[in-house]
Amino acid sequence: MREEEIPYKGIEGIPVIREPGSAAKVNRGSWRLVRPVHNIEKCTKCKICYIYCPDAAIDWTPDGPDINLTSCKGCMICAEECPTGAMTEEKEGA
Amino acid sequence: MQEFKSLKDIPEQDYFTGGSSACAGCGPSLGLKLALKVLGPETIIINSAGCMTLLPLYPNTPLKASWIHNAIENAASTAAGARHGLDVLGNGDMNVVVYAGDGATYDIGFASLSAAAAKNERIIYICYNNQSYGNTGFQWSTATPYGSETKTTPRGKENPTGNTAVNKDMLKIMGAHRVYAATASLAYPVDFLNKLGRAKERDGFSYIELLGACTAGWNYDPRLTIKISKLAVRCGMWPLYEIEHGMLNLNKDFSELKPVDEFLKMQGRYRALPPDGVERLQALINEHWAELKEYNKQRYV
Ligand SMILES: Cc1ncc(C[n+]2csc(CCOP(=O)(O)OP(=O)(O)O)c2C)c(N)n1
Ligand code: SF4
Ligand code: SF4
Ligand code: SF4
Ligand SMILES: [Mg+2]
Repeated sequence: MREEEIPYKGIEGIPVIREPGSAAKVNRGSWRLVRPVHNIEKCTKCKICYIYCPDAAIDWTPDGPDINLTSCKGCMICAEECPTGAMTEEKEGA
Repeated sequence: MQEFKSLKDIPEQDYFTGGSSACAGCGPSLGLKLALKVLGPETIIINSAGCMTLLPLYPNTPLKASWIHNAIENAASTAAGARHGLDVLGNGDMNVVVYAGDGATYDIGFASLSAAAAKNERIIYICYNNQSYGNTGFQWSTATPYGSETKTTPRGKENPTGNTAVNKDMLKIMGAHRVYAATASLAYPVDFLNKLGRAKERDGFSYIELLGACTAGWNYDPRLTIKISKLAVRCGMWPLYEIEHGMLNLNKDFSELKPVDEFLKMQGRYRALPPDGVERLQALINEHWAELKEYNKQRYV
């Protein structure tokens, strides 16, 4: 078939994701065996947990870190890196 | 862009969300989250097939920037094309960024990377290096360090070393293209994001290689991603340095390196590496470190 005879179909049928950040609503909480627990009294608001969360599951607020348990996969980097022991670990479903 | 001095200066805005199918504790995912803080939403990311390809999984994406799924072979060529197209359309402010694995960078896509760098295309090429073909099950790449076990370099009676090859010196190769080339670490986000900020303002090609700790392939507890990344720098496995106009600049200098053993024993991929293998790896590290110290602030390539 010559090129000009190939019917042009535009981008129809090609999957395009139009909503930026739509994965935020996907629940990854079911992956967790343990969950991080934040203790505000011990927190110095140093931001370390927030910076290092690979799934952006910690939002930064004027009160410090706010854990989003829909996105949190329970990797425990936040607890491991917290310098004051303000982020601790709890067994899921306990 | 103003340089960040501490973690507190890093922007509180994220252009990356949760909900992806990447492993818990994935280093390369964290690298992208951090990078987008500096790059912002006016960015097109060109990704070669690899672990990160599964971040946007139809119908959902964790990204708040544009993304092109690309073949492994030619992410840099696609990026160069996107750059030229945007420039013609008067969209010169948009960032064009490659986010590619080490297999795509060191091996399969090297020809297109080399061409784009030689032509000094105005793109930022970030290689997230998990030191293997991670997505297909952790096979050997030319970025795999000496002594690491991979699916294709198994440790066994006949070969207790695992990988017996020494990884390519990619920084030197890219530095020799006379472009900006730098290493970066997840455990030093201020350094990483300042390098990215500088790359964004450069009128030419920038290559940044981020060590991407990989919990599944390196075989460690996901909570240790940052600890392991930091040790890699402290023991000289992953020194932080940059090359510009062929000149070397060592970003983190230490009077003494920690023994590599500390880094190795945290990861299953080095389990049962015999003492002579550890010794050889330590010698390779010492040699590289001595070279960096010798050429610091001087012409290196
Ligand atoms: C030419 C080609 N060969 C092989 C593959 C299969 N493949 C898909 S992802 C992948 C791994 C790529 O490794 P790397 O670039 O290091 O990224 P990582 O998976 O480690 O994130 C391979 C080999 C492919 N897509 N194209
Ligand atoms: S456990 Fe991991 S995913 Fe969950 S909030 Fe902490 S760092 Fe983020
Ligand atoms: S790392 Fe610990 S002290 Fe720092 S902000 Fe997070 S919870 Fe607070
Ligand atoms: S295999 Fe490694 S690089 Fe790939 S998603 Fe898992 S942790 Fe990330
Ligand atoms: Mg890889």
